Amino acid sequence: MNLATYARRNLFRRRGRTIMTVVAVMVCVLILCLLRTVIAAWNAGADAASTDRLSTRHKVSITMQLPQRYIDELRQVPGVKAATWANWFGAKDPKERVPFFAGFAVDVNSWFDVQDEMVVPPDQLAAWKATPSGAILGDVLARTLGVKVGDRLVITSDIYPGDWQFTVSGIYTAKRKSVDRNTFLLRWDFLNNDPRAVYSKDHLGWMVSRISDASHSADISRQIDARFDIHDDQTLTMTERQFALSFLGGFAAILSAFDLVSLVILAIMTLILANTVAMSVRERTHEYGVLRAIGFTPAYIRGFILGESVLVAVVGGLAGIAVVYLVVNQGIGPALEENMSGLFPYFRASAQVLIGALVAAVVLGVVAGAVPAIRAGRLKVTDALRRID
Amino acid sequence: MTETIVALSGIEKTFFRGKEAIHVLDNLDLDVPGGSFEALMGPSGSGKSTLLNIIAGLDRPTRGTVKVAGADLTTMSDKQLARWRSQTIGFVFQSFNLIPVLTAAQNVELPLLLTQLTSAQRKAHVATALRIVGLEDRMDHYPRQLSGGQEQRVAIARAIVNDPKIIVADEPTGDLDRKSADDVLTLMDRLNKELHKTIFMVTHDPAAAERASVQRRLDKGALQ
Repeated sequence: MNLATYARRNLFRRRGRTIMTVVAVMVCVLILCLLRTVIAAWNAGADAASTDRLSTRHKVSITMQLPQRYIDELRQVPGVKAATWANWFGAKDPKERVPFFAGFAVDVNSWFDVQDEMVVPPDQLAAWKATPSGAILGDVLARTLGVKVGDRLVITSDIYPGDWQFTVSGIYTAKRKSVDRNTFLLRWDFLNNDPRAVYSKDHLGWMVSRISDASHSADISRQIDARFDIHDDQTLTMTERQFALSFLGGFAAILSAFDLVSLVILAIMTLILANTVAMSVRERTHEYGVLRAIGFTPAYIRGFILGESVLVAVVGGLAGIAVVYLVVNQGIGPALEENMSGLFPYFRASAQVLIGALVAAVVLGVVAGAVPAIRAGRLKVTDALRRID
Repeated sequence: MTETIVALSGIEKTFFRGKEAIHVLDNLDLDVPGGSFEALMGPSGSGKSTLLNIIAGLDRPTRGTVKVAGADLTTMSDKQLARWRSQTIGFVFQSFNLIPVLTAAQNVELPLLLTQLTSAQRKAHVATALRIVGLEDRMDHYPRQLSGGQEQRVAIARAIVNDPKIIVADEPTGDLDRKSADDVLTLMDRLNKELHKTIFMVTHDPAAAERASVQRRLDKGALQ
């Protein structure tokens, strides 16, 4: 036997209470990991944004458009290697098989040069360039809609009236997990030549440029905006990350609430643990008096109490992480990626989240056990021996 | 001449209940020769347990000097006292105070975890202690699987396993039936006579006190 044997046996002295506490910690860790994963998933696009890409939009609002000629001027800015553009199409599946997906009208010749994390086989790209009514879909969206290359597809729009007939020219895959594989791409020239899009004719929604040196992104952004400063339609250029975050701005309050709830969960976990430890210490005060009498110092008593608290927290934490792995990473994560990839292109609890939750459990185990441990250590031996609970 | 193992001089102990001072021990002197078996009797509240706690290094007097087994306890820090207790004193309590989640052998081994002994050496000490108290066949039993008398004998094995100079016993037969009490007192008598342990026992039981070689009486904080 060693001291760990005693500590371990103590853990299961009140088996039911210990199991309930472990389950409570496990549930807290599960909720905490879920919240952090949601927050990470919301920010995944921004976090994974390319550092050498800039987005340029109308200075007033993303909903206002820019003249087509701006793209040529943008390409002349020193430091800009390549540029492309897109318009929001507001695509919808008339059969409502997909609740939401992004639809962009993009430049057929330059889009995939700049957005190189989207991968299309060369023959499919060539077919798209040869087919004005062609469209390229993300592989997840294609699977959901049940279409393959060469199929006909009817799409409607929030912005432009009527049915829009397309031929599936290609299907893109993604180099990175954070890339939305649920996007629908049509040709900008096809939209621009359609009479239903007359009010946006020869206008661009926003421009995307790839720059030669990411460390000069701020300078190049200023130069781009300065070039259009003298025009009626002034621009606002930002890094792709800032651009993505500006879209998330509307969700900032929700994300802040999630952060707050995460803290509340941590506080609940601490209180549950502290309550269990306090009850155990109260029940064993007399026993601690006996141990002190036979020579154990207060440091040992503190160690027993803290060890037990941390052990419960670690067991609960590990159980929680196992459940998170099974439920989130193997269950709802893939399901969300498949069905809601527009919102959650990548929804898995990262190693960082899991390790963070375990570390939080350990720290809170120490915090929960600290006060009872210190108080038990300070108790006089004779007082402890007199205590019968 | 037998050497004095416990020497108390001018001991006073005062507790405070709010602002009210309660004088439990009043200018008490006591010499206990090594190897003796002494019983301390007295009415409830007379200060018996307080005196026992002071001798065992569990409590400090308000005034006076306490010398036990050559050590001046009044000058020791709490940490030094804990170490001194683990090496010098064996405790026997009224309610046995065994750890319920540990077996008899593990309970006996507890004080040895504070020593530098190896696991094998500890096991040998435990086996010896349990053999002395006649419970070598109950090593793997948990306290709930033992009778009251057996539990107290395990507690005595725990008290002697580190070979202490003094065994202090606070009402060791208080929770036992007559037969078990007699067995425990016989065992303590053996420890005194065969292993030459000094035993200082607090008891209410005149029959238990009669088994000691010296009977003392404490009343209102003073030895009679």
